[in-house]
Amino acid sequence: MSATLLLLWLLPLAGALVIWAFGPQLRRGAGWLGSAVAFASFACAVVLFPDASNATGVGQTLGTWIPGYTFGLRLDALSLLWTLVITGVGGLIHVYSIGYMWSDRALARFFAYLNFFVFAMLTLVLSDNVVGLLVGWGLVGLASYFLIGFWFYKPAAVAAARKAFVINVFGDIGLMFAIFALFAATGSISYADIFAKAGTLPVGVLIAACIGLFVGAAAKSAQVPLHTWLPDAMEGPTPVSALIHAATMVTAGVYLVARFAPLYNLSPTAQSLVSIVGAVTMVTGAILGVAQWDIKRILAYSTMSQIGYMIMGVGVGAYQAGVLHFFTHAFFKAQLFLGAGIIIHALRDEQDVRKMGGLFRRMPFAFWAMLLGTLAIIGFPFFSGSYSKDAIIYGTLEHGHPVLYFAGILTAGITAYYMFRMIFIVFFGPDRAEVPDELLAIPSPGLAAHAEEHAAAHAPEWLMRLPVAVLMIPTVAAGWLSIGGASSPWYRYFGTMFGTSENVAGPPLPIPEFASQLIVYAVVTVGVVIAYLRYGAPSAQTGAVARLRAEAVAMPLVLRRAFFVDDAIDAALVRPSQALGAAIVRTIDPHVIDAGVRDVAWLAGALGYVARALQNGLVRSYAFTLVIGAACFIAYFAWLGLGTGR
Amino acid sequence: MEVDVANYVALSAVMFFIGVAGVVLRRNPLIVLMSIELMFNAANLALVAFSRLWVNNAGHVFVFLVITVAAAEAAIGLAIVVAVFRRAKNVDLDEVAGMHG
Repeated sequence: MSATLLLLWLLPLAGALVIWAFGPQLRRGAGWLGSAVAFASFACAVVLFPDASNATGVGQTLGTWIPGYTFGLRLDALSLLWTLVITGVGGLIHVYSIGYMWSDRALARFFAYLNFFVFAMLTLVLSDNVVGLLVGWGLVGLASYFLIGFWFYKPAAVAAARKAFVINVFGDIGLMFAIFALFAATGSISYADIFAKAGTLPVGVLIAACIGLFVGAAAKSAQVPLHTWLPDAMEGPTPVSALIHAATMVTAGVYLVARFAPLYNLSPTAQSLVSIVGAVTMVTGAILGVAQWDIKRILAYSTMSQIGYMIMGVGVGAYQAGVLHFFTHAFFKAQLFLGAGIIIHALRDEQDVRKMGGLFRRMPFAFWAMLLGTLAIIGFPFFSGSYSKDAIIYGTLEHGHPVLYFAGILTAGITAYYMFRMIFIVFFGPDRAEVPDELLAIPSPGLAAHAEEHAAAHAPEWLMRLPVAVLMIPTVAAGWLSIGGASSPWYRYFGTMFGTSENVAGPPLPIPEFASQLIVYAVVTVGVVIAYLRYGAPSAQTGAVARLRAEAVAMPLVLRRAFFVDDAIDAALVRPSQALGAAIVRTIDPHVIDAGVRDVAWLAGALGYVARALQNGLVRSYAFTLVIGAACFIAYFAWLGLGTGR
Repeated sequence: MEVDVANYVALSAVMFFIGVAGVVLRRNPLIVLMSIELMFNAANLALVAFSRLWVNNAGHVFVFLVITVAAAEAAIGLAIVVAVFRRAKNVDLDEVAGMHG
């Protein structure tokens, strides 16, 4: 059993090392090997499913760190779910990447990074202690850095990678302090011990730990105000956006809060903080999604918004609902990104939706893929997203948060609007590929910057279509697991794993669940209708160029600069840090550090100058020195002998 | 007739210091090598003398060892002298001071 668990964990690492070492020999085989490794891990997870799908799961001790503190792996219901998504969706995205990166010279490097990411993410979710979690947390950030900056000759990609890494490390620090607090209070690093002692923790420690954990979660999951790296991270290759910045890594914060449910359940204060930040992120992401022109940025802000839903769900204590949204989101968002990737690939790296239009006839497959993903994300009835989103929205009401409830419904409407805005602009109306940039108010240079990567060779089409086609099934159906409320397979799967929140006993609910769903559907319909009227109706389509230009020109600055969050961070943190660095360069560096080095060098030189005199090259003088030394030696022992009287 | 060991030691010391003086003062490498041999043999004489005094054969054995090493040393030393002569065209030790700092 546990050998399978080890295999599941280490296979991607082995894959990464082999691909890294033998990349030039493997050529495109690197892609197949990487995919095979991901699917092999997936198979291991499936094999372990019967044993692991409960609150205890399967464990494996790895070794002792400090006597008394052991590292180990634990695959239980929660980590099993993440493992299946990471390896399953991850495997599909590996296959897709073979097609997407077909003519990239650094294909092997890409797959080594992808496999390394899978390993890092598995480390994060499989660890049975907080230190292993932190290690995985850091490795995932590193893998994300590698992959965002994969096209390292693009300055924007490098800047985005650095930004993502720095913000992630900020989160790591929060996580680290939470671990310090928990360790100081419980004397243990293992989840089992910490949760067993959760009830005895002083309230201050509890809140500090929960907030520290959430700082980590917020940085990794792009919650306001630590979200600014996620849209920039779209500079990476599209499969990376699908795998890391939509399906898996950014949901690590959801995993963290769900994993530490025993702590959050005890602290309504921390729960409120988490759910409010989640709700703010949800609304912010949706509003900014409306104002984007880059297809990947639209999806990035929608990801941010959907993660806001998840965080809000797990924050109020509706863990099953929040985790269900992670599960469904992993499929439909991967589907959306991969569909967008097909479009971007076919249009030779054009990402601006204003330059698209009319792709419905040219790319029917991409259209259906994007449409299914869109229907799922807006929560269209019977699509996966509707089950999870409704469960979260209703969960907020169940746990007594009417304000969050209305925010959730409002955001569902905005989501419907901006997603269908994208569908209508991209797939309907006239093809605007030949329309000059000025007419569409596109600032030059355009968004496409790496056209050189796509020389001549193109992958067979099925390579990129197959994973998307496979993803269509869960995109539609993944939510059906939760049909039937508390007696559904989904809720029975988790059982009592998350315990119960202290604030579960809210006031009696004014609205039954079915009515609540109808309200959500109504708001969603309104969003779709507005999008249709503005972008989809025949009259809107004929004058599309002028319309889009007018919208781009009239876009308020506050939306264009994404609520000035980046500018605020820049002014508050980045500029002072740069000024400090410059001051250090001017003062401490030349006068302290360099001066010290210079002095040491001068001392060595001076000693050498003195010692030089001894080496005159005359053998006779060396011999004389030898004689003098021997004489001193003999004199010393003679003196010793005199001293003892013998 | 038994000779007192002090005589042997005195002779050994005189030979040794003659050798030292030869190494330190002379500039001809051949003379220096000969002086080194002289020091070896001074040591040998002392070893043999003490060996007789204490009736212990270890000293004799050691002398053979020293003679062997001295032979090897002389061969290598002469080879070096020849090599130096070929390079520097002289055999004055003070002129061959290429290693001065």
